[in-house]
Amino acid sequence: MPALPAERSVLHVAAVDAARGARLARERALFRNFYRRELSTRYLGSVSGFAWALLHPLALLAVYHFVFTTVFRTGGFGGQSFLAFVAVALWPWLAAQESLQRGATSLAGYAGLIRKVAFPHEIVVYASVAATLTVHLAGYIAVLLVLAGFGEPIHLEGLLIALPLWIIMAIAVIGVTLALSALQVFVRDVEHVLMPTLMILMYLTPILYPLALVPASVRPWVAANPFGWLVGRLRDALLDGRLALEPADAVALAGALVAFVGGRWMFRRLSPHFEDFL
Amino acid sequence: MTGTLLRLDGVGKDYAKVESRGGRLRLVYDLLRGHGAAHVFRALDDVSFTLARGESLGIVGENGAGKSTLLKIIAGVMPPTRGTVEVNGRVGALLELGSGFHPEYSGEANIELAAALLGLTPSEIAQKRDGIIEFADLGDHLRDPIKHYSSGMVVRLGFAIATALAPDILITDEVLAVGDESFQKKCIAWMERYLASGGTLLLCSHSMYHVQKLCARAMWIRDGCVARYGGAAEVTQAYLAYHEEKSEGRRAPIPQQQAAAAGVYAIQSLDLTPHEIVAQGDALVVRGQVYSPDGRMPVVLIGLVRADGTPVYGVATDMDRVTLAGVGGGRFAFALEFPALALLPGKYFVRAHALDPEGVRLFDNVERPLTVSGVTRELGLVRLPHRWTDAGVPAAGERAGIG
Repeated sequence: MPALPAERSVLHVAAVDAARGARLARERALFRNFYRRELSTRYLGSVSGFAWALLHPLALLAVYHFVFTTVFRTGGFGGQSFLAFVAVALWPWLAAQESLQRGATSLAGYAGLIRKVAFPHEIVVYASVAATLTVHLAGYIAVLLVLAGFGEPIHLEGLLIALPLWIIMAIAVIGVTLALSALQVFVRDVEHVLMPTLMILMYLTPILYPLALVPASVRPWVAANPFGWLVGRLRDALLDGRLALEPADAVALAGALVAFVGGRWMFRRLSPHFEDFL
Repeated sequence: MTGTLLRLDGVGKDYAKVESRGGRLRLVYDLLRGHGAAHVFRALDDVSFTLARGESLGIVGENGAGKSTLLKIIAGVMPPTRGTVEVNGRVGALLELGSGFHPEYSGEANIELAAALLGLTPSEIAQKRDGIIEFADLGDHLRDPIKHYSSGMVVRLGFAIATALAPDILITDEVLAVGDESFQKKCIAWMERYLASGGTLLLCSHSMYHVQKLCARAMWIRDGCVARYGGAAEVTQAYLAYHEEKSEGRRAPIPQQQAAAAGVYAIQSLDLTPHEIVAQGDALVVRGQVYSPDGRMPVVLIGLVRADGTPVYGVATDMDRVTLAGVGGGRFAFALEFPALALLPGKYFVRAHALDPEGVRLFDNVERPLTVSGVTRELGLVRLPHRWTDAGVPAAGERAGIG
């Protein structure tokens, strides 16, 4: 096919631009489709539906409240209400935990598609994590509103800081989930190791207790947990009403971005071989 | 727009082989470092071809030969390990059963999903939905989850979606094998229209009929390599011949060197004229060569058997006291003519056996299929010479009728 080189290159650039636009539109449409489907099959398909997503953390909160304030009669929350103290930290933790667990195994549910259709496999993980985070963020805001309504000491203006903190968390969680989900395709142990690990991590994170109660000798270790940092910042904003940004926020954002880029790099290295192992 | 729609250059695909869990970890480590897998199974090797717009290619081969792997690479489902693939157009793919459906979704939701996968805009989807639903013709099942569909229903839906996309290349992997008769007809009618309007088809099928009907060119893939590439008729015939030989196995001629080494009399070649199909009552010539390890003239026995193995007729050179002509190198040529073949229409085999010069020991058995064509209501294997005489009136000088 004889073609003028100049003409051809212009056409080529136009075609590439058009192709990129079409590809992005397609990826967005796919994400929307998967995301909607994740929400509806996961929460709306079951009998208890969306309510379960709210009930699970509420039930946990009630149990913790009973165990810590009625059985153990723990003090030392700095005069703060235990309910508000735990609620502020519990929802983000459950959101992250569930995102990791569901996200890590999400690719298996799309095996039929991955084996037969060309599309960026990442979208599956994005949609899975996004659906989980959406549900828990909605639950979080609802619970904060209810607690504030019942006179618990919640500074609702703290949401101005809490929401960006959720975004930082989401970026990091997506990164780690990408890595885990790719690994899970090859090594099925990931999901089995993940559950107890997350359980242990939860108790090692100052969610049910303040960092101040941790003995000084091990406190730096507990404080090094990035999720502990997040929980502390959320309490600053929502319980104390401190709205100032800190330098550590930028570090956290940078760390989250590193986790995301690293996780995505790992995912992209492994994803061409998913077809063979799913 | 004309030109090259698809270009494959030295395309190959390796699958990682892992036996143990440790092997899986090791594989992940290798892949992350950017190395290939250490132990691989070579599923596809060095496949190159170009396809112009409007050209259609049939892909044939045995199960596990690498056909599906090739189609998946072209469809972009996975990257090739080696070589390059260049696609200049929109690809619609029907790989295996269904074009990638989500089993939990309903038929309707899968139409939406497929549309999103194909990158259609909402208005395009709305525009095409009715056409898809009509073509698939699934009625109320459209609301059921795909996992409750029969394989035929899945293919109907997949085909309906693929056709709505109006792709530049349509890849179909064994699609026609699943649908029922009327849907197959619908599909073939659609494909013929699609081809006539300049579409390009990549058809993977075990049905040589479909390949010949729909494709101008064909490729035979064998053990991951291109065994043959060319005109559809030529490639499918070669493929069928290979299968015939394979299923007959031991009935292929023994190579002369082997025969010489073993000191046996062996048929070297066996040809029928006309080839394979002969009209009832026409002449059939059986020709061939036989090898003798000691230079003495062997005996050749030619037999006709029905496809189920029932012997019909056999005759040997020593019975008719025939002398075979030596053609050098220990070979002797034979030719046997049946001037007016009395076999009734049906499938038969022509067998040639090599015997020692004494006609005692039988060494070799080579066979060729033979179809006798014709239309008759006569029963049995052969037409015997006969005539109907006037009822009850003995004809003077009864004679055998002319066959």
